[in-house]
Amino acid sequence: MHRKAAAAALTVGWILLSCFIVTAHHSVASNFDQGKTLDVKGKVKEIAIRNPHSQITLEVANSDGGTSQFYVEWSDKNALMRRSVPVSKMHVGDIVTINVNPSKRLPNLGYFRTATLPDGTILRDCGFAAFREGIANGKTGC
Amino acid sequence: MKTAILVTLLIGIPLPIYSAGKRAELDGVWILLRADIGKFRLTPEGEKKRAAYDFQKDDPDFQCKPASITRIMHTPSPPIEVRQHQDHVEVNYEFMDVHRRIPLKRGLAAKDAPYAVRKYPHLGRSAGQYDGETLVVESVGQRAGVLDTLGVPGLYQSDQMQTIERFIPNGDRMQIVVTHEDPAYFLEPFTVTFNYVRLPGGKIMEWNCKPEEATYEKFNPQKK
Repeated sequence: MHRKAAAAALTVGWILLSCFIVTAHHSVASNFDQGKTLDVKGKVKEIAIRNPHSQITLEVANSDGGTSQFYVEWSDKNALMRRSVPVSKMHVGDIVTINVNPSKRLPNLGYFRTATLPDGTILRDCGFAAFREGIANGKTGC
Repeated sequence: MKTAILVTLLIGIPLPIYSAGKRAELDGVWILLRADIGKFRLTPEGEKKRAAYDFQKDDPDFQCKPASITRIMHTPSPPIEVRQHQDHVEVNYEFMDVHRRIPLKRGLAAKDAPYAVRKYPHLGRSAGQYDGETLVVESVGQRAGVLDTLGVPGLYQSDQMQTIERFIPNGDRMQIVVTHEDPAYFLEPFTVTFNYVRLPGGKIMEWNCKPEEATYEKFNPQKK
């Protein structure tokens, strides 16, 4: 019974996540709460730096002793390169804490702000809006 | 100049009468600062198409296919590049690796021009000319389908769509004012104004879109 309920919940979660991520393709601001932040600690399971959006998958510990996955959406690969974000400092298997703007709809999704790496280094990304603002004000970037 | 004033009076679109800069300033790599979408009124058929739009099925982005030049320019972070030559203009869009070649030949009508993007013939045929310091690009022959999925999701175009893009230089700023005319789906022409800032030392990079990464199918339990 419990297994069926869990499977149903997981299916609903996947469907919601599917809808959400596709929607997120259209607008970060409308899908993530940029007025809130959340720290998520976990083990890096996958890093996909790509276009049109990058994604980090974290394996996070649950209070019941199990684990679940948390998804971190991020900018497109080209934009990260243009902003000189040192993404290669993060590796699969690292235990990291990622600060995100939480999703407005799903509890296991957020948008990247910073990551605290195993050695305490903070990986930062100013984001496209700040980059664009910097360029418009005559700087070379953020 | 007379032409621009006449167009303004007839269709109520505030076209600039002349450019503040010189045409040579158009060359370079640009990032989008802001897009201003003008008012539009759809025909009943246009309303019907928009109401039926389902981004999960209908958005060409998920097949790594650029819907239209307007849709491409709505994507905020990937820049565009303008390179003017004696007989043609290159406009290279990082988003979806769209490389557009617009002939500059006196008297050439857009309908007689070759496909502007060899890889994506559905983007139509374009011909360019200068109106003072403004580059004016007319396009026809776009195939019927989705016009926009980002600025205004669910706008469609028919194969009657005609666009006029005005590339207006102003030092390290550039405007591209796109006027869309499509009597099948729009009651009147509508404009989108894209405002760009020059990206010093900028380069267009490969986008290399892969459908399996763009569609997020792995999150869809129906397709696992």
